[in-house]
Amino acid sequence: MTELEILKRKIERERRARKQAEAILEQKALELFHANQELQTLNEGLEVTIAERTKALQESEHRYRQMIETASDMIYRLDSEGLITYCNPVASYLLGFSTKQLIGRHFATLIEPSYREKVISFYVKQMQDQQASTYFEVPLVDQLGDIVWVGQNVQLIVKDGETRQINALTRDITERRLAEQELSTTKLRLTSLIKNLQAGILVENEHHQVVLVNEQLCQLFGVKKEANELIGSSILTGNLPDRNLFLDPGSYEQLLLRLQRERQIDTQNELVLTDGRILSLDYIPIFAEEQYLGHLWKYEDITSQRIAEEKLRWSEEKYRGIIENMELGLLEVDNDGMILQAYDRFCEMTGYLPEELVGKYASEVLLSEENRGVVDQQNRDRQKGIAGSYEIPLLRKDGSLFWALLSGAPIFDERGQVVGSLGIHYDVTPQKQLEKDLKEAKYRAEAAQEAEKQFLANMSHEMRTPLNAIIGMTHLLSETSTSDDQDEYISLLKSSANILHALITDILDFSKIQAGEIAVQKKSFDLLGTLEMTKRTFDVRLENKDVDMVLEVDEQIDYIVNGDELLLTQVLNNLIGNAAKFTEQGSITLDVQQRERMGNSVLLDFKVIDTGIGIPPNKLDLIFQNFKQVSADIKVKYGGTGLGLAITRKIVELQGGTIKVESEHGKGSVFSFCLPYDLAGSRDAEQKTDAIDTPLQLDADKEVLVVEDNFMNQKYVSTLFKKWNVRYTIANNGREGVQLAQQKAYDLILMDIQMPVMDGYQATEAIRNTENLNQQTPIVALTASGIIANKERGMALGMNDYLTKPFKPDLMHKVLQTYLSNPNKHKDLAMEQQANFTFDPALDFDYLLEMYEMDLEYAYEMFDLFVHHSAKEFPQIGTLMQKQEREAAKKLSHKLKPSFPMVGLPALGQKMAALEQSLALEDNFAQAQKLYAEAVEMWKKYEPIIQKDYQRLQKVVSPNGTTA
Amino acid sequence: MKGVVFTEFLDMVENKFGYDMVDTLLDSNELPSGGVYTAVGTYQHSEMVQLVTTLSQESKLDVPTLLKTYGKHLFTRFKAGYPAFINAANNAFDFLESIEHYIHVEVRKLYPDAELPSFETSRPQEGTLEMIYKSERKMADFAEGLIEGTLDHFQMTGVILRENVKSDGTVVRFTIQKEG
Repeated sequence: MTELEILKRKIERERRARKQAEAILEQKALELFHANQELQTLNEGLEVTIAERTKALQESEHRYRQMIETASDMIYRLDSEGLITYCNPVASYLLGFSTKQLIGRHFATLIEPSYREKVISFYVKQMQDQQASTYFEVPLVDQLGDIVWVGQNVQLIVKDGETRQINALTRDITERRLAEQELSTTKLRLTSLIKNLQAGILVENEHHQVVLVNEQLCQLFGVKKEANELIGSSILTGNLPDRNLFLDPGSYEQLLLRLQRERQIDTQNELVLTDGRILSLDYIPIFAEEQYLGHLWKYEDITSQRIAEEKLRWSEEKYRGIIENMELGLLEVDNDGMILQAYDRFCEMTGYLPEELVGKYASEVLLSEENRGVVDQQNRDRQKGIAGSYEIPLLRKDGSLFWALLSGAPIFDERGQVVGSLGIHYDVTPQKQLEKDLKEAKYRAEAAQEAEKQFLANMSHEMRTPLNAIIGMTHLLSETSTSDDQDEYISLLKSSANILHALITDILDFSKIQAGEIAVQKKSFDLLGTLEMTKRTFDVRLENKDVDMVLEVDEQIDYIVNGDELLLTQVLNNLIGNAAKFTEQGSITLDVQQRERMGNSVLLDFKVIDTGIGIPPNKLDLIFQNFKQVSADIKVKYGGTGLGLAITRKIVELQGGTIKVESEHGKGSVFSFCLPYDLAGSRDAEQKTDAIDTPLQLDADKEVLVVEDNFMNQKYVSTLFKKWNVRYTIANNGREGVQLAQQKAYDLILMDIQMPVMDGYQATEAIRNTENLNQQTPIVALTASGIIANKERGMALGMNDYLTKPFKPDLMHKVLQTYLSNPNKHKDLAMEQQANFTFDPALDFDYLLEMYEMDLEYAYEMFDLFVHHSAKEFPQIGTLMQKQEREAAKKLSHKLKPSFPMVGLPALGQKMAALEQSLALEDNFAQAQKLYAEAVEMWKKYEPIIQKDYQRLQKVVSPNGTTA
Repeated sequence: MKGVVFTEFLDMVENKFGYDMVDTLLDSNELPSGGVYTAVGTYQHSEMVQLVTTLSQESKLDVPTLLKTYGKHLFTRFKAGYPAFINAANNAFDFLESIEHYIHVEVRKLYPDAELPSFETSRPQEGTLEMIYKSERKMADFAEGLIEGTLDHFQMTGVILRENVKSDGTVVRFTIQKEG
């Protein structure tokens, strides 16, 4: 190959390449030209287009943004990893996190933990299946930890087969979820309620299909199926319940049709089944807004209820009938006292017609002004539910009054509230009249009794004065020179006067016992000594008879007892005296045995056995009765009032004992009685009274004036005084005593009370009230009477002490010791004791000091009186007030009023004065009751203090526990 | 394949071996273009393969060496023709990284029918650039020549490691380690 050829080929290639390039370039130039042309055209509209496009874009963006920002739904975007890359403000509003907090956060952290797995797997599946869009409900947890239920539409943005981002439109459905939950709970509740109702329930929808039915309905109508199986079945074809179960299927059918046609709630239906059961049927239509959705049937077995109601009605009628026929007027009022119902009988009583009473206020129509208060109080009680009965005068229509016994009872409603009261009225006018008559009669009888008592007391006193003169004169007469005949007459005169005196004493004692004026005074005494003393007395009295006085005492009786020595002595004197009267020969035995000893108490049997005439068996019952004697012969032969044994029985009973008699006519009688005593110590301790045989340590010039009419007593006292070396002068009666007292100063006067010429009271009065040498001399009464009144009277007259006859030497010894021993020594001791004594600070000390000037003996006397009398009488005021005996209560208050200050309780005295005043006014009873209650309260507080100081005073004033 | 690749190749053959060799290459092959190339035209890739294969036979030089040499040569031509592209980069790595997303993008604007390989780059560590070459034409040797030309231009010394990611040579990883 030559170079030239190569060159030619090269040039040829170059040329062809150039041509090729030129062609390409030309084509490119053409393309360029066209492109340029297009470009030019484009360019012309470009600006406008750009402006338009820009504007449209801006608008669109603004619109979208606004839409998103103002959307009520939460909108957020996740990247493919699940991290939040965008969220709208709703998200922060909904979840409480700020947008900043949400961006970059993983969506899963917002899901409620227990749902997290479920939610994530849902969305993982969406991505795997490349589902473009899903809806799912998710519970999120907000910033506060609360659950927010959301429903989210999730769209996947997929590119190149991979999920690039996830857009979610999320709506808060919490309320809906809650509503759904609420709805489902409500539904459950209602369903279970209906299922458990004790009534058959059947709910149908508007298409007559069973929506709900409970077991009770099936049971009620004997449906064989389960309740649930019936749901959905058609009621029209199901014959539910079976029409043939009803006594009248036709009218039942009619009823059902009517109810369904009217579509009104109806609960008034009762149906009777062929088997006798009674059912109630309620129809309740169900509407939502205006739309009818079916209805509910409620069947309930009310058979037993109907039977009970019927029974109740019948029972009510029965009792109402009974009460109406019992002449009891019934009246029903409400809480304001307005009459609700007036029954026939009540209308008859009052003369009103029922319609004239109903609606009126009972108290305005039926009560006079002054009685309204009583009923008002009663009505207040009714309203508290308290029943009560009272008597009240009611007004008839014609204005006349009648007394009604009204028993009122509250009426309660079914909730137990008092809604009124029912009054049952009984006309007690005749009873009231009778009661009034009886009261009057009683008052008259009491007045008569009081007059009789007064008369007896006066009479015995009036009789005794001349009798004393007779006895005294007889004594004087017997000491003059008399003939034998005269001696005999005088002797007769003497014994007759004595019998008369004894009779009068008996009568006086008896009337005092009847009047309850004899009180048992418990003090320690030497029982054996008393018995021996009694024996000795009768030894003397029986000196002239062929009768021996025997004393037999149980060896166990060697104790000092606590009891009333005086009353025992009186019983023994009466019984032995009685025996002596009827026994001419043989013996009278006083036998005392201890029947029982229980701790500190003994029960003693006393027997007085005589060998006298005895008592016929048919008269045994009589002898203890008042004024009864065995026979008229006896009365003539032996005299007496016939009161002796009656008095004896009363006195025994007063001391808590019993008395009986056994007797064989002609052979003798045994009177036995039994008395309880408390032990006060052994007799040995008291034996120091043996000292009575030793002369008293007295100043030589001491002299005693003994005013005593009874020779036996004169002898007794003079014997003792001689033994003790005590100088004495005897006065035979009061007047003599007074005369002697004017002539010479004595150191002690012993004053018999019952004496001829002038008795001990009068003599004392004369000595104390006239200028004489013995105005201040101690006077000690010698009395045979255990009667308190006598003692009080003596004290009031100025006597210092008293000694009960027959007294034992030791008692006389004690009296002499007290009044004759060295006064300074005596005083020193007393001063010492008394200086140490102080009253309880609760008592008004100033008042006591003023009263007693530290004269503790006086104080003791007053306390003694107070404790034994006033304190015991005080509660009687209450008893009297309860019995509405206002006047009597007033009198008693008046009587007790001064007693309280005497024991240092002036405040209580003032209370009593106030009580007396309020009792004096007729309509102030409530005030009086209040005052009395206050007085009782005060007394309760002071009583133990008074008792304590009383005992303390007793110890200081008479350390041995014995005062005369 | 763009005509410029053929014209530059033939220019290089003419410079190194003389026009005789060019004439031999064009004459000894049945070429659809008839052996006539212009830089603005577009020709089948197989023609280039034929030309290179023939040159290898004629010159006793192996094909890879030829392609690498041609790549290095072409870089100098590009530098002269399109200096703006090259000057935009501060150093070799920056330039290499800009090929895929800058130079090729611009090339496609001018020649929408151009078929270009892809170069993914990354810098696993300081001073190292990794380039993944992907092309059905399997001309990694040519690419290597271009890379060497680049390093020369930016006066950077470095080692070019080459490994086939796919054994057929369609995917090749170049790891360029800067030295000094």
